[in-house]
Amino acid sequence: MINIRINLQKASFHLDADFSVAETGVTGIFGPSGSGKTSLLRVIAGLESQASGLVQVGEAVWQNESSFIPIPQRGIGMVFQEPSLFQHLNVVENLNYGIKRNRITVQSIEFESICELLDLDRLLERNPQTLSGGEKQRVAIARALLSSPMLLLLDEPLSALDKNARENLITYLEKIFQILDIPVFYVSHSSEEIARLADNLILMDGGKVSAFGPIEEVLSRMDSPLIELDEAFSVLECSVHSYNLPHLTSVESCGGGELLHISHITREIGQKVKLRILARDVSLCLSKPTDSSILNILNAEVLDISELKQGSRTVKLSIGGAKLLAKVSDYSAKKLALKPSLRLYAQIKAAALVG
Amino acid sequence: MLSNADFVAFALTIRLSLTTMAILIIIGTPIAWWLSQTKSKWRSIIEALIALPLVLPPTVLGFYMLLTLSPDGIIGASLSAMGLPSLAFTFSGLVLGSVIYSLPFVVQPLQTSFASIGQRPLEAASILGAGPLDRFITVALPLSKMGYLTAIVLGFAHTMGEFGVVLMIGGNIPGQTSVLSIAIYDHVESLQYGAAHSLSAILLVLSFAVLLLVYSLNKRVLLLGRS
Repeated sequence: MINIRINLQKASFHLDADFSVAETGVTGIFGPSGSGKTSLLRVIAGLESQASGLVQVGEAVWQNESSFIPIPQRGIGMVFQEPSLFQHLNVVENLNYGIKRNRITVQSIEFESICELLDLDRLLERNPQTLSGGEKQRVAIARALLSSPMLLLLDEPLSALDKNARENLITYLEKIFQILDIPVFYVSHSSEEIARLADNLILMDGGKVSAFGPIEEVLSRMDSPLIELDEAFSVLECSVHSYNLPHLTSVESCGGGELLHISHITREIGQKVKLRILARDVSLCLSKPTDSSILNILNAEVLDISELKQGSRTVKLSIGGAKLLAKVSDYSAKKLALKPSLRLYAQIKAAALVG
Repeated sequence: MLSNADFVAFALTIRLSLTTMAILIIIGTPIAWWLSQTKSKWRSIIEALIALPLVLPPTVLGFYMLLTLSPDGIIGASLSAMGLPSLAFTFSGLVLGSVIYSLPFVVQPLQTSFASIGQRPLEAASILGAGPLDRFITVALPLSKMGYLTAIVLGFAHTMGEFGVVLMIGGNIPGQTSVLSIAIYDHVESLQYGAAHSLSAILLVLSFAVLLLVYSLNKRVLLLGRS
């Protein structure tokens, strides 16, 4: 297990985090900006010397009341938001910096295989100034992995990139996470990245950890603080159904038997796919709209309605057993007289394919 | 054109400037590094102390140094108690005075240069397993090349042009303390304008040349950084 119980007081900000997550897989740390995600990673890395409390990764205690293991001896790999390659060294020298200082004598990941996995072979002799943003982050990820860390910390590694570079890098990350046997903490405020990459989820809000656990579990709880967030989302498991409509792929929601139409993908019929749907992209109607441009209108049943927060409510719906969140204004909730077990129609404005 | 005494003064000035600059780089590096990294409340006090020679008339500095170096002064008394010769009116005394006088010209460019690296590259190095000294040598130093060039040139050139401090604590002993600026003053005093001209011109051209070198190198680095 990774056990974290830490406190950090800064000028106008207080971080108070207490959680345990499995020592395997990718743990997504999700929350609005300013919620303390980056500070949490920095405390775990040892970069915030005023932080107090416990940081324990498996057997290794990096920090407790009486001890503080210096950063170089912790065995961490970290990739920052903006690329932080050494400007005075070329790519291969950057990669070697961590290898040379590795405390463990056995390299856990081979230089050649990492270069192949991240397509770095062409870049080795280049200077960081001549690389694109995406290339820089690939080198930074390789540099972190080559130092044979016990824990990999990724602090919004995609946020400084444009859309194409982001899409490109996320597929590299998926490949790497498949073969990696160390735990990864992945900070992001993008629900799409989290839904695609994370196995566990830590929710942060106002400097506090508001929920943690396996991602499906955190997402499906009605009392999960996720539903309070503006970025609340649900993940719908589907299977590829047919290719009957032009430029579209029809998928069937698992359990529900409802058909959804998404942009064309090349998958085999019957293959499982995951869709990330933002709660604010789901609207509700009592009768089935027939003249809407929105493709995906599903039969739904209201399961639960959240407390009022900032003029809106989050409604938990069942799509034939699958869970879906919708965010509506309190005014609309009253107008439609929403209450549990009411049957209605959910219009889905956008769905992102996340797996 | 140049008399023998002028040559001696010229050689002495170069020797003094090189010695001072070398000492300044050695002691200026840890001071500038500390100032660039610390959050201590002492920082402002140390910074103000180091910057004093920028605003103080050199004669004031020289006067106080003369007092401390004299046989009754703090340094002078302890030196003679240890059986060591007095520093006043010696080359070593001049070096000491020049080091204090030129300190801000070395510490400030180094401090600015260290600070402009930012914490990120140092944090990255630390996470990759580099300890404090390792980080300084393999990351901070190579990223501060321009700061060092500026510090070396300013430390050297500023010592070369000093007059007031030398006059107070060095006097005018040929081969010992009689540097170029003093020689020029002597020539003017004795109305030897031709000799004063030659020496002044040498100082002017030399100073311009080193500054030109620094600024053109600085520009190249700036352009590189932008591409």
